[in-house]
Formats: sequence, C-alpha cells, structure tokens
Amino acid sequence: MTRQQQTPSIDFTILTLKDALDLAVLIEEEARDRYEELSAQLVLHRTPGAAAFFAKMVRIEELHRKQLIEQRHKAFGDAPVGVRREMIFDVEAPGYDEVRMNMTTRQALETALKSEEKAHAFFVSVLHNVQNPEVRKLFEELRDEEVEHQELVKAELAKLPPGDPLERFDVGDGPAPQ
Amino acid sequence: MNAPLFQAKDYKSELKPIWCPGCGDFGVLQGLYRALSAIGRPPHEVAFISGIGCSSRIPGYTTAYGFNTVHGRSLPIAQGVKLANPELLVVIAGGDGDGFSIGGGHVAHAVRRNIDLTYLVMDNQVYGLTKGQLSPTSPKGLETVTSPLGSLEDPINPLLYMLAYGAGFVAQATPADMPGMSALIEEAIRYPGFSFVNIQSPCVTFGEDEQQLKAHKGKMKTLASLGHDSTNQLAAMDLARAYGKELYTGVFYKNPNPPPTYESLVKLRQAEQSKKARARHQILEAYLQK
Amino acid sequence: MLDDLILGMAGAGGDGVVSAGESLLSAASSEGYHALMTKSFGSQIRGGESSCRVRLSTKKVLNPGGALDVMVALNWEDFFKFGAELPLSVNTVLIYEEKAGPPPETLAARGVVPKELVPVGITELTKKSAGSDKAKTSVVLGLLSGWFGIPSEAITRGLKKKFGNKGEGLLEANEKALAVGIDYAKAHPLQAPHVIAKPAGTPGSKMLCDGNDMCAAGALFAGVKFFGGYPITPSTEVMQTLTREIWKYGGTVLQCEDEIAGLGATVGASFAGKKSMSATSGPGMDLKTEILGLATIAELPLVLLNVQRGGPSTGLPTKPEQGDLFQAAFSGHGDVLRPVLAPTDVEDTFRTTVECFNIAEQFQTPVILLSDQEIAQRKEAVDLIDTSKMEIIERRVPTEAELAAKPYARFALTESGVSPITHPGLKGGTYLAAGIEHNEKGDPTSSGAMHAKMNAKRFRKLEPLKKRADLFEVQGNPNAALGLIAWGSTAGVAREAVQLAKAEGHDVKLLVPYLLYPIAEQVYANFFESLKHGLIVELSHQGQLYRILRMFTEVPKGVRSFTRDGANPFQPIELVKTLVELKGLPS
Repeated sequence: MTRQQQTPSIDFTILTLKDALDLAVLIEEEARDRYEELSAQLVLHRTPGAAAFFAKMVRIEELHRKQLIEQRHKAFGDAPVGVRREMIFDVEAPGYDEVRMNMTTRQALETALKSEEKAHAFFVSVLHNVQNPEVRKLFEELRDEEVEHQELVKAELAKLPPGDPLERFDVGDGPAPQ
Repeated sequence: MNAPLFQAKDYKSELKPIWCPGCGDFGVLQGLYRALSAIGRPPHEVAFISGIGCSSRIPGYTTAYGFNTVHGRSLPIAQGVKLANPELLVVIAGGDGDGFSIGGGHVAHAVRRNIDLTYLVMDNQVYGLTKGQLSPTSPKGLETVTSPLGSLEDPINPLLYMLAYGAGFVAQATPADMPGMSALIEEAIRYPGFSFVNIQSPCVTFGEDEQQLKAHKGKMKTLASLGHDSTNQLAAMDLARAYGKELYTGVFYKNPNPPPTYESLVKLRQAEQSKKARARHQILEAYLQK
Repeated sequence: MLDDLILGMAGAGGDGVVSAGESLLSAASSEGYHALMTKSFGSQIRGGESSCRVRLSTKKVLNPGGALDVMVALNWEDFFKFGAELPLSVNTVLIYEEKAGPPPETLAARGVVPKELVPVGITELTKKSAGSDKAKTSVVLGLLSGWFGIPSEAITRGLKKKFGNKGEGLLEANEKALAVGIDYAKAHPLQAPHVIAKPAGTPGSKMLCDGNDMCAAGALFAGVKFFGGYPITPSTEVMQTLTREIWKYGGTVLQCEDEIAGLGATVGASFAGKKSMSATSGPGMDLKTEILGLATIAELPLVLLNVQRGGPSTGLPTKPEQGDLFQAAFSGHGDVLRPVLAPTDVEDTFRTTVECFNIAEQFQTPVILLSDQEIAQRKEAVDLIDTSKMEIIERRVPTEAELAAKPYARFALTESGVSPITHPGLKGGTYLAAGIEHNEKGDPTSSGAMHAKMNAKRFRKLEPLKKRADLFEVQGNPNAALGLIAWGSTAGVAREAVQLAKAEGHDVKLLVPYLLYPIAEQVYANFFESLKHGLIVELSHQGQLYRILRMFTEVPKGVRSFTRDGANPFQPIELVKTLVELKGLPS
C-alpha cells in the first residue's frame, strides 16, 4: 500500500469562493444525510413522530443544497470540486448522540434547533479566519440564514401543544437480549 | 487535490443498523467509512471480521466483504483471512467483552505474530447485546445486573495490555471527535503491522451519563496537547495507566521502525521453498523407501 | 517358506525396541515386502515400557494381525505390561534375554504354551561384540535376520542411514552387534525353521508411511493452502509434515495458541477462498465444535481431521479407540448435518483425505475426517498409490461476468442446495458471511420461515452423498447369510476375517462404510436384506455405529454389536469364531 496524505483539514485563510460554495453544499448534504439516517433509526425503533420531523428536515436540507448547487454552477460551471465531505463533520448535522428511542416530536425539533445554532456558531467561528471578501460575503449570508432557520424551527415549536410532562421518562420495553 | 476514488458513502451498505438511537457505534461506523475513503481501497478488497456483540454487527453495515463470526474468535479468524490472502485489507471490529473477556486469550498471540491487521475495539464497559452485564472493562464498583451490589474486580486496561504485548500501534479515540477518530483509524490501517485502536463508544442504553459522548467532549485530552512523543513506548505505558480515569485520545505508541510482518516472511519462505515443489502426481514419491 | 510373519518386541524405553522395529520395517520395505508396524508405550514421556509389532508379508497387509509368530522380550516385566497388544499362541517362538531367567508363572497363567522358548544372552553378546550394551537391538535384528530370513544387507543399509552421521564408533559397534546376532542364529538353528519367502515387489517400490503421513500428503495433493492447528496426540504429525511441505505449494501453516484459534484461522482462510484444514483429537474436537457450527451455517468448506484416541479426557492418548463417532456426527449446537468420513488403513487415508476436500469444496461444508490412533501412527510399507485418475474438485466460484450480470445472492436457494460462493477480493461478490441466520443475500434475519428454508437447503445439499457407491466397500456374495460391518481401523481386521472364513468354507460378506454420516439408509438396507446373522465390529464400549444405525435404519435382530474397549485390538480369527457361533442360533 502506498502511503498517502491523510485527509487534509481546511485552511480558511486561503479558501476560494469555489471551494467555499462546494463546502457549503457539502454541509447541507451532510445534514441531509444525517437527518435521513436518524429518521431511519427512529423508524426502525418505532418513534414515528420524531422520525417524520427528521424526514421533513431531509427535504429542507436537500432544498438548501440544491439552491447552493445552482449558485455554484452559475459561478463556476462544472469546474472540479476541490473539497471533500471528509473535511467536515457535524457542521449542521445533529450528532448521533442527539437521538433516543421514543423521543418526542418536540425533542426532535429541539435537536434541529440545536443543530442550526451549531451551524451558526461554525460560520461565526470560521469567519475570523476568512480573508477572501467574496467568501466572507457568502459565509455571512449563510450565517444569517442559520438565524432564519432557527426562527422557523422556533415557530414550529410554538405551534406544538405544550410539552408532555412525562417527556423525560423512557417507558418503553427494554432492549431484546440477543 | 485529486478526487478520492471512493467516497465514505461507497462503503455504506443498505442494511440499517440495529443499534439503539444515540449509540456511539453510529459515529464509529461513520469514522470507519471516512478512513476507508481516505485510504481508497475498493470495497471488495476489504474484509471486515467481527465476533459477537453490538459492535460486531459492523461488517454488515459496510459494502465490503464481511464475516460476523462467533463470540471472541474474530482475531484468529481474521489471521486466517489475511494469511490466506495477504493482498486484502483486513479490519477487525468488536467490543470489550468479545476482545478482552471471551477472546482475551487470542490477543497476545495476534499481537506477537504481527500480521498486518487493524483491530478496532468499541469499548463501552458493558455487555449491551445481552442487556447490561458486567464487562472486563467495567469500572470497579459498577452496579449491573450481574453485579447488583457493585463489581468487586478491577477492570482490564486494554491500552496497557496491548502495549505490554508489544503492539506496534496503539491508539485511543472517541466518536465525540470525528475528525480525530477517523484520522486515527486511517493511521492504524496504514501502519504496516498489527494495530489497535481502543474506541470509547458509549452504550446509550446501559452506559452511565459520564460515559456518554457529551461527557467525552468535555473530558477528552489529545495526547498531542500533552506533548506526548508517540515513539516513546515507556511514556506511552505511563500515560496508558490513566485508562478509566482520563480520556486521552491519539496515538499512544507507534513503532518508528516497524518490523517485517508475518505475511511478508511467509511470502519469502514460500518463494524460497517453491523450488522444491513436486508435481501433484509425484507428491507421494517422497515416501518411497529405497 | 512363509508368506506372512508377525514379530513383536518389548523392552524398556531405553532399549530402543521401537527404533529397532523401525529399522526392521525400513529394511523390509526397501526390499519390497509389504509391512506394517504398530507401537505401544507406557505413559512415561521417556523410558517407560515400550513395544512394537511388525508384520511382514509378500501380499498386502490388512491389519496388524493376531497372535505373534515371533516375540522378543528383553525383560519380562515390560513384556507383561502389553497384554492384548502382544498375544502369544502355540505357534509363537518366544525369544528372551537369558539373564531375565525363564518365563515366570504369569506366562502359564495366560493359558498358552509357546511353541519354542529361546533364551539368548543378548546383553552379553552385545557387550562382547560392541564393547557396550547400547547396541542390544542390533543383536536382536541379527537374530531375526538369521532365523527368519530377513535380508541382512537391507538391515545394514538401514543401520547406515540411522547411525551413519551420529558420530564415530556408533555405526561400527552396531554393525558388529548385527553380525554377532546373525552368526549366533546360524550356529543355533530353531527346532522348526520359520523363513519368510522373498517378496514379489521390486526393491524400492514401496512407500513407507503412516496414516498421518498419508493425510498430509492427501491434503497437499488436494491442494490445501492453509492449515491452522494446535499440537495434540495422535494427530500432531499432520501439522508437522505440512509445516515442512506446504510452503512449497504456496500455502501456510499457522500453529495457533489453542484448538479454537486453530479452527478459527482455518475457517477464516476458507472464507478468503483457500482450501483449508485443521487437525485434532477428541478433546480438541470439543473445543473446536463451536467454530464447526459457524462453518456449517456460513457454508464454508473445510476439512477437520480427528484422530481418535482412547477417551474421555486425556484417556489413553497413545492408544486407539473408536469412541468419537457420536462426537463427529452429533457434537455441537444446532440442527445440523456434517459429513463424517473414516479411512480404514494407511493407504486409503490418502484417498479419503482427498475425498474429504472434494466433498467440503463441492458442498461448501465442514467435513470430519475421522481417523484413529492405529491408522494414524502405524507405519506401513505399501505400494505407491496411483493418483493419475484421482479427481480434484474445486468450489463453485462465480466469474466476474456472472456477478456483473445480476445481483449476487450468496445463499441462493438452489435446487441442489449449493449456491455459488465468492471470496474477498472478487469484484461484485461482496457479502456478509455470518454465524447469524441469513436470507439468500446473506443479510441477517430472525424469520422462522427463512430459517426453515435455509435449514432445508443445508440438509438437501448433502443428500447426494448417500448415493455415492464409491464411499462404501461391499464385498462377498450379496446373498450371504452372514455378514460383517466394520469401519476405521477395525475394517482391516474384518477384511482378513472374511478371507479366513472363506478358507474355512463360510460365506461371509462385508460392508465397510467410508462415509459414516449422514447414514446412507439404502446401502445398509440392501446389505441387511440377505443377512441372518451379522456383527457390527467396533473398538469401543458402546458400539457407536451400531447405535446410530438403530436410529436411522431397521437393524435385523440377528445383527449384533460386537465391541471391545479401546487399546484391546481384535484378532481376525475371533470374528470368524463369533460369526460361526451365531450361525447356530436362530436369527
């Protein structure tokens, strides 16, 4: 086996607009895939409310991704992609440890909200290093969009009936021994 | 940079993991996909071998060849796979019970043979699949269904164990740090010899709160930040003593001069002996009594 | 002139009687005799009592034989430790060390009076000729050569091979001792001469080997590429031979940390696409059984040799017993069927081993090769086996084109029950092998319906074995009213018994199954049809084949289990006597 370079991390000080756009696409893609995975986990574990909400998030993240792809194509056409999915992790995607069997829809929404906050914090943090003005502009827009997303989730949360007082208890059967 | 030949998702199978939502193994699996993509071997040249336990389900969740075997025997089985076809990339996945309890007797020998295998232990300090019994890495005093009054025994220290047996690559990771973990898995796979990564992968159902990923994020310290020199075996052993108390991540020890692997010696021997081969129908003539 | 001669020797381990037996065997085989040697020891690692039997013949030797024609006792104490293994008769010439004194009462108590008692001052002759008593067995070889016609040139060649490079003086001393023995025999002729005829075969035409040699050679012939094992008596020599030879053919031997790892590595290598085997004996078999279950459900080919020894536990590790048939057929968890084949002598261990590999690869199953200590460790001089017509079967691996044509289903429910098998490295063939029940694709399932289908597949694929006539030896008149069934090393005794019976005018037929399990019901039903009386001969307390046959077939009342505990070999003549006695009884 030939020795290869390990997956490089991103140097935001020299990030180009093309790479920044592609990165933004990957961030949405990661979030989409993660929601899809978590939704599937919850379907498998009979937690339909939260699963349905995560499925909805899949569609939303996919929409964002498509919009970004369009923007990227307008600007750079089919120029090769210079960044890789493996360079990022959990930017806008909820962590694997955020879900539980029998979680409520409210808890699922809270998880999404937390993820939008996390994404916001990501852009705030990397903006300290970004020097390219076009990239700055893009990241500031994305940062602000995260705030909009947060508001949307909060609005959804407000529409939900008041919290279940037994929400924090897990009353399901224990796991099946194998 | 060149686009990778295989992306992480190319290693992901259609099969949906049966793990409980929130399980640490989801992250480990993701890290594994990432490491494999970085290495870039096609899935059909990769074989995942596992024993029994929650984490041993991993082979089925990859598009590689997989062998989900019997409890505790993944190490010898993987050695057979690798020796039968040294061109394969062979990764072993399992849990702390599988590796250090029922299969504990195999560890020393897998290490001393130095076959180019990567052993990933998802250490959650409990038996999850059988519902929460004491494991060989459970902390002393832990109350479980088989230690309702608290365990009376000290846990095994997998890191010291491996270092003492002479493993050429010993690391620890947590899925709470995905980039760090996948880089460690990648480095372990690239190490030319037996490599071991202890992955603190919490059990969401039977684990304690302080063992969960959220706690890891606050607790973990990279060995690099401690200024550890990973070529220093004694320093590695010293740091490994903190297993169970501190959560150190990174490479404890990496032999800077890896010795030849077992399979490379086999190859040499085969090449040298092949000159003495008899034609199939003359094999029995060796027994003629003149 | 005799065409068959059975010699025995007993002494203290330090005397080297087994080593002398080997020299005798080697000399005889190089001259072209058929020969067979068995050895027996006390439990000490060194220096306990030891003995050997050597049977020389101008025809094929079927078994170690019954009572000895010649017995050499270097002292009485050690001789008497081997009861059933060194039986005397009224035809035996008993040669003994003069200084041990005349035979004690114990001999008379056995109820036999040997034909001739020949005291020889062996130690004294040795000291006189070699200047030491360390060449005693060469004097003995000289005596045997002189009295029984075993060519002394061949013995001298053997001594040269054995002592030629061991340091100055040793060879010369032994040559002198040999010459003295020969001279002594010539000067003191026996009352009745016992000279063996010259062999028909040309010198240099015989293979000298034991069953474990033939197993290793058979494995190499079949194309074994991986052996994972752990030392255990009496199977270890297979690993020892392979670990010297297998590299030449691109294979590997891994001496593992334990029995479990041995079979584990073997199943791993099979998963990786290579012909693989392991070897053990009863206690190791127990440890390996869990992995056998894995190989069965994952449908991975492998051959596992079990050389049976006296049991249970450590039992009699250096003696034969046919006590592991139940274990081979039934041990382990789950509702499974595993083929079990048994060789019956040194020579057919080769063919049976090749057959086991063929069955394993063709049907994707672990196969148990059930040998026993006698076959495994007895040395024989046999004709070179003609391998030119032997077939080698490889597993059915789909081509990359086939794999590209449609999605691959590792455990496809085919009519035959055998599905195409891929291995890591093959593009388009990835699948999950697992101990867990699976669907056709290989994905885990807990469906009862799928389990039933997969069970049916795993049983169905082995059905054709029962119809393989070549896995059964049936000889004699098909309408005979008397019959013998024997397997493993006992078959050789039964074969000779059939010949003896014929000579005495009795019509006895014989069935020797090489395939012991699954039970081929029809083969036994056909054999039983004409029988009024029969014996199922087994060297075990229970008679395990007899009991299995009663599970699966209608065993006629007149067919009885004839057994003896391990380490107490049968003699051909007693089988004939028992059958003839039965003949008088109502069936």
